Amino acid sequence: MKRFLTIALALLFVTASAFADDAAEPGKSLLVRTFQLKFKKAENAAALIKPLLSEEGSMSIRATGNALVVSDHAENIKQVVAALADFDVEAQPFRLSVRLVSAGRAAQNEARVPAELRDVAPKLALLRYNALDSVGNAEVEGKEGEPGQIDLTNYRADFKFGEYDPASDSINLVDFKLSQLAGDQLTQIMKTTLNLKLGQTVIIGATKNAQSQRALMIVFTAKR
Amino acid sequence: MMNCEIFRSTFHADTENAALLAHLRTCDRCLDHAASIDPDVMFRALGGDDLVPPGGIELFVDDVMRQVRVRDTEKKVTAIRHRPVSWTRRLAIAATLATAVTSASLVYRHNSAIPSTMMTGIKRAAIATHPAELVTKPVVATYESESATIVEMPNEQNDDNVKIVMIFDENLPADL
Repeated sequence: MKRFLTIALALLFVTASAFADDAAEPGKSLLVRTFQLKFKKAENAAALIKPLLSEEGSMSIRATGNALVVSDHAENIKQVVAALADFDVEAQPFRLSVRLVSAGRAAQNEARVPAELRDVAPKLALLRYNALDSVGNAEVEGKEGEPGQIDLTNYRADFKFGEYDPASDSINLVDFKLSQLAGDQLTQIMKTTLNLKLGQTVIIGATKNAQSQRALMIVFTAKR
Repeated sequence: MMNCEIFRSTFHADTENAALLAHLRTCDRCLDHAASIDPDVMFRALGGDDLVPPGGIELFVDDVMRQVRVRDTEKKVTAIRHRPVSWTRRLAIAATLATAVTSASLVYRHNSAIPSTMMTGIKRAAIATHPAELVTKPVVATYESESATIVEMPNEQNDDNVKIVMIFDENLPADL
């Protein structure tokens, strides 16, 4: 009888001690949580939460079910939960501004910069492009995953708004295809996928080689 | 030679006559007759040598004693089984159960401190995240032509607002 009582009391003491330790050092033990993403890809979420994990933390992407399995201390898990809650939201709308600039290297007396291109002119001057002509500009709005199309005088651009990546604060512009219109013939010039940081002006210069006297500059600005 | 007539004429209670007793072992009718006169005659009529159990008397006695001990133990066990649980034992069981329930509830509460997101949609947490440092991604993720050279121009003026990337591609038309 006494043995039973002793064992029971010892068990109670051990349990109480264990929880006293936990209370004194919260978050010391590692927790494992599975996050199933509804709207965004688990791969992109993984890049977002990687910096939030501690040295002991780890994560794995579960391809089936678009889920992330994260193991870390309670504090880090809380941060991951908050970050993913901000990230895994419905498709967000973005505004994309595209300007097409024909840039040339000209003699000093032939240099020209239209007023609407003064913001990018100093940058292009570094590449010795000093004769700038605006070919066209357009602004388009779209949500993540939606297709977009821009008509710019003799050019046309087709693309798809990709996913927003909070880790780099950038929007993915998927399969941006620039085509040139000659008569009624549309010829594709280039096809590329771009990462555009929000608020940043990105100039993509396309030319045959570094010695070419002419280049087509595509000036992008993506905003919310 | 003993026959039934001689037997019945000479038989009397408490007789030890060996010839009479031997006749009893062969004649059932005379045995019945004798038993009616002397009921104990049957035992005397058995006669013969002392019976010795197989394996000897010692083994027989040991076996009997073992059986006695087994029966005794069975009785004790049965008695314990049917004995009502004492209050101290009940207390011990209750303490064990209380410990188990308390431990389980504490573990549950401890784990519930974190919002449960197990295979469910992610709930919005009220905790502010520390803004993580932004990752720098290449501007051109993919480009169709493999022969192209893509150069991200260094930002000499430390101006993060404008980024220039040059694509040198011999496949591009000359009249861009």
